[in-house]
Amino acid sequence: MDAIQKIYNLIVFLIIGAIAWNVLPFLAPIIGMLIFSFLFTTVFLQATDTIERYVKSRSFGVFLIISSTITFGILFISSFVSNLGTQIKIFTQKIQRDDFAVSLENVSSKIKDLLPDILGSLIPESDKLILIAKNFLVNIFQSILSLLGSAGSFLFIALMVLIFTIILLVEYHDFKRSLVRFIPNKYLEVGLRMIYNIEQQISKYLRGQILAAGSVAILSILGLFILNQLGANITLIVFIGIIAGLANLIPMVGPFIGMVPAILIAVMNNINSDLAFSHQLFNTVPSPFYILDIILMFIIVQQIDNNFITPLVVGESVGLHPMAVMIVLLIGGTLIGPLGMLFAIPTAGVLKVVIREIIFVTNNSHLL
Amino acid sequence: MKSIYKNYFRKNDNNNPVLKALENIPVFEGLSDKDLENIVRLTHERTYKKDENIFKKLAPAEGMYVILNGSIEINDPDSGNVFANLESGDFFGELALLDEEPRSASALATSPSRLIGFFRTDLLTLIERSPELGNKVLLNLARVLGERLRKTNQELAQSSE
Repeated sequence: MDAIQKIYNLIVFLIIGAIAWNVLPFLAPIIGMLIFSFLFTTVFLQATDTIERYVKSRSFGVFLIISSTITFGILFISSFVSNLGTQIKIFTQKIQRDDFAVSLENVSSKIKDLLPDILGSLIPESDKLILIAKNFLVNIFQSILSLLGSAGSFLFIALMVLIFTIILLVEYHDFKRSLVRFIPNKYLEVGLRMIYNIEQQISKYLRGQILAAGSVAILSILGLFILNQLGANITLIVFIGIIAGLANLIPMVGPFIGMVPAILIAVMNNINSDLAFSHQLFNTVPSPFYILDIILMFIIVQQIDNNFITPLVVGESVGLHPMAVMIVLLIGGTLIGPLGMLFAIPTAGVLKVVIREIIFVTNNSHLL
Repeated sequence: MKSIYKNYFRKNDNNNPVLKALENIPVFEGLSDKDLENIVRLTHERTYKKDENIFKKLAPAEGMYVILNGSIEINDPDSGNVFANLESGDFFGELALLDEEPRSASALATSPSRLIGFFRTDLLTLIERSPELGNKVLLNLARVLGERLRKTNQELAQSSE
């Protein structure tokens, strides 16, 4: 390649780069929707292929899967919203009643009595405590309401993702074949290998994560049910379980997110109960409002998930070092927030496969 | 509209050259037109210039090729031996559908050629989407390899006599 050709290539590269840099912000939402659609496609692909095998019609298979998913989603969300509404109503009534202030004051003084003086002085006065509790709850309800308020734009995005997913699911194999046409002859076989490996990696990881999330949800519901039998008086256990399961999709941070609603509900429901306040874990360790029981239950669920379920269903699919997992999570969280944390690990997994394949191609380049 | 028509009202496209080429390949022997159409939808049509390598010896192997038109030479670049000169309707590289061993020889287009590629990933997709059809192809593949093994045994026996 002579010098002029090199300069020409550099100029073309810079122009394309500048155009991409300016156009990308406008295309980002569409690219985001496509990424989501691709992820959903990967999750549903195997089920679609399986149904196609029996009904001999891919379109009908896609229709079956999408319609049952939507029905389940609507049922879940509507029942969640109505249950949450009832719970919020009960909580608001509780906060407005005078005895809530009295109960909180009692709790605060009891905790102060239990703790040494230095630690006890750190607990705010009861009126401040009530203000903090009220503000905290108001903030939570307000953020839930603002979330519901932004449902309009969410619905549009969801609809677009749904349409893209349906098209991708129906046309997946033809679409892939069309993409393969762009691979130069020299790289055809390694290119096919790379596409297949990436597909397998994402599919295995996502399906594994969904199975693990489902298991965590079921185990959490079971655990909360057992705690209720022991008198914990936790409501909305099915939803707490599902939230714990979904939060579990975010490694390391997720399990703690699952505990928060359970503890909040346990405290709110038992605030007037002396029995719940003086509860002791295994009759030895003080566990007011069953907080330690809940934490222990979630830790047990996590241990079962980490040691038995995840290795079984996710396996070594991503195979990242725990340190790498933490760094990748931090990068994802800093860049896009919670969604970034959710997609950080599969993205890192895909990058790992791509880099591995590039190294493989580079090492074998003399053979291509 | 055209695609809807093509999807729901089309009849078997007997003039499709890819379909015609595949029905004469032992790996796809005994398959119905519908089965063959499903396989055609998984294959990749590629064109090669004269003197372009389809694959080189020891390269990672992924699948087999069927020659639609043109001519391909199978050779060993190290020894310079030419193992076969293949023409339209011939196929090569089918062993790669089953194992992941590197190519044992090179394939070179000796004239501008049009090939159909059917790769291991396509076979795996076929087995997942349509296990019945996948099994038929696997059985045919086993038969082709069995015949080749028998032939090699006979040649070995003849040369040792």
